[in-house]
Amino acid sequence: MNEIVSSFVSQLLVKGQIAVLVYFLAVNGWYLVLLISSLLELRHHMLLITDESRHLLLSSTLSPTISILAPAYNEEPTIETSLRALLALQYPNLEVIVISDGSKDRTVQVLTEKFDLVPVKTIYQQKIKTKPVRSLYRSSTYPSLVVVDKENGGKADALNVGLSFARGELVCAMDADTLIEADGLQRMVRPFLYATDVVATGGTIRVVNGSEVRLGRVAKAAVPTHMLAGVQVVEYLRAFLFGRLGWNRLGGNIIISGAFGLFQREAVVNAGGYLHDTVGEDMELVLRLKRLSYERGGPGKIAFVPDPVAWTEVPESPGSLGRQRDRWHRGLADVLWRHRRMLLNPRYGITGLFVFPYYVFVELLAPVIEAVGIIGLALGLVFGVVDWNFAALFYLTAYGLGTALTAFTLILEDVSFHRYDSFRDRLLLFWWALLENVGYRQLTVYWRLRGLWKFMRGRKDWGAMERKGFQPVTAAG
Amino acid sequence: MLIELGLLGLAVVLFFAHGVWLARSQARLSRLTGTGRDSLARLVTSRAVNVEEVAALQSLPKDVQVIAFLEISRNLSGTGKEQLRFVAERVGVVERSRALCVSTRWQKRLRGARILSQLDVSDPLVLRLLGDKHPAVRAQAAEWAASQPSVPVISAMLELLADPATQARFAVQNALLRMGSVVAAPLRDFLEKHTGRAAEAGLRVAESLAEASFSPAALRHSRSDDVPIRVASAKLLGAIADAAAAERLLELIRDDDARVRAAAAQALGRMQHWQAGSLLAESLRDKAWRVRREAGLALRAIGAAGVLYLRRALKGDDRFAADMAQQVLDLPEAAAG
Repeated sequence: MNEIVSSFVSQLLVKGQIAVLVYFLAVNGWYLVLLISSLLELRHHMLLITDESRHLLLSSTLSPTISILAPAYNEEPTIETSLRALLALQYPNLEVIVISDGSKDRTVQVLTEKFDLVPVKTIYQQKIKTKPVRSLYRSSTYPSLVVVDKENGGKADALNVGLSFARGELVCAMDADTLIEADGLQRMVRPFLYATDVVATGGTIRVVNGSEVRLGRVAKAAVPTHMLAGVQVVEYLRAFLFGRLGWNRLGGNIIISGAFGLFQREAVVNAGGYLHDTVGEDMELVLRLKRLSYERGGPGKIAFVPDPVAWTEVPESPGSLGRQRDRWHRGLADVLWRHRRMLLNPRYGITGLFVFPYYVFVELLAPVIEAVGIIGLALGLVFGVVDWNFAALFYLTAYGLGTALTAFTLILEDVSFHRYDSFRDRLLLFWWALLENVGYRQLTVYWRLRGLWKFMRGRKDWGAMERKGFQPVTAAG
Repeated sequence: MLIELGLLGLAVVLFFAHGVWLARSQARLSRLTGTGRDSLARLVTSRAVNVEEVAALQSLPKDVQVIAFLEISRNLSGTGKEQLRFVAERVGVVERSRALCVSTRWQKRLRGARILSQLDVSDPLVLRLLGDKHPAVRAQAAEWAASQPSVPVISAMLELLADPATQARFAVQNALLRMGSVVAAPLRDFLEKHTGRAAEAGLRVAESLAEASFSPAALRHSRSDDVPIRVASAKLLGAIADAAAAERLLELIRDDDARVRAAAAQALGRMQHWQAGSLLAESLRDKAWRVRREAGLALRAIGAAGVLYLRRALKGDDRFAADMAQQVLDLPEAAAG
């Protein structure tokens, strides 16, 4: 009897391992397709922007007005620098709306002192229900600056308040601590000028940790020496430069980073704005806009701009990073669950038949399958069902091709934007690309599984993130 | 496994080899561009053409020549730019760009048009690119056209107002605006003949030019069945601000579509047409929020008479009108203006 059970378990372990291996091969094969797609897209993009003169856009009264919505919660130490950088963005028709989401520190006082805010009244239509607005201010020195002080309701609520006050045809949703390149908006607005069916655009977000920041701008990009931050540089490059860019060419983008995205205001308002009861409000909105474009007609194209346009600080402590990844995965699960009727539904075109299943079977379930693979391999080795050769084969198949793809992504970055140009940065990038397979990826599997578990238990908290702050420059220059 | 290792190895070699190549080529490019920039600066500032300097420029790689010319062109205008064009002709940059403009590949045509645009070279080849297959090339040709305000160029540009590509249409509208009042007469004729998307784009340009001669066209288009065209016409009428415009706007404020009513109210406010006070006060009771808002702001804009209507609305039986009137009266002077 024992032999029968033992044989069954052995068979199960071996077949399970082979199934996981096939899954990894299929996923990596698909990544290869995405890489080729992103290569073609990047080439096309570079041809379009080489020697481009954007002063036309800068000087035009016809350029669409953009309202930047910057939610801020207890941002007293950084709000002045961040806001000065926003006000200095190179775009002709710009409005900046800072929404203090019930900050308990001196955020509003700092803004009042530094930007000469005066209380004002304005006419606005509240199409989306939000927490009450306490007061509204306008700067007497910066006419394009509006500050809204409201009761705490979360980021989605703050953005919805911003939507009510915004006057621009386009709204730019961002985090208050995101650093936007001076000409970032000019780059981001391009797809709206190129086509009428664009409802939202997202840009490349880079990791600011380790870089030099001067007056709210990245003065010199550098790869951090801190392991967790360094590995995330590689992750971000891979996610944006080949993931989203590849999907862009295939027409399957459904994610715009909450740190920086540009939307058609009317479409967002008509869709009901941001949802409060999800931790994946940015992805949820994009997927809802996409879904509504199929159901009601109207613009529904999500465009991705590969130029580096914004920089964000990533967590450097395992606890903080774990909470972030757990929240991201909970958000993904929640969004896919809310819109589950799109899955394999021909009514939703390529999104329903192709993109949605990809997000379910590759992005959402990947940690489950990876965990099954890792645990199965460990058990197989312990019980002697699989030998070390198989284990090595498994590991290299699972992670080796991924590393090769990451290395090709680094090449993509190098031939296009090459923001990390020193030999030290190159070495570090490659080092982090190798090292992420040893421990880090397995940790992210754990965090994402935890996120799935919490989702199933209905948890919707955000978790705190510790910020180290940007690296200042001591010498002027 | 071997394939994976091979791929990984290839990627590593490519990554680091490219890094070395990039560092060297950038250093070389920087050095050569500096040399080219210096030569070019001397050539542009001197009155006579120094043959040796021209030869020195010609000896530089072609890409470097282009970089140097484009860098300097951004900071020049008038006679300085003329001299730069003259040097570009002598060096061969203009001729090579012309050759690019007739290439079968769109990216080369785009590059050719970009160089000629930035050097402000007047060339029929670029004019032909206004009819190019690729929208980016058409848009670039339109950008070039902004500095070439001749009759054939303006005619070709106006025809592009109906371009199906947004990018090209935007570039054309913008270029026409930059040309200024010289486009007024041809645009007026164009608006007389065209309808649809082309007319809407033309009306937007006309609104910025705000010339009285557009009045007949604006009046005609304000009777279009197309809502965006009626909206654009209302805005243009507000910019023209003559008696006929005011009369028509008083009709448009009762249009079936809220967008048109709002645009008409806004235009009347822009004209500060105090005679429209009673109609605007009626519009404070409109079922559409945006119409109520524009009517309220217009009343505030027309001055004392309008403020009186707003105060009366506060005591009226329509709570939506009273609410809007209160909000408008609460606005600070700067925001209401």
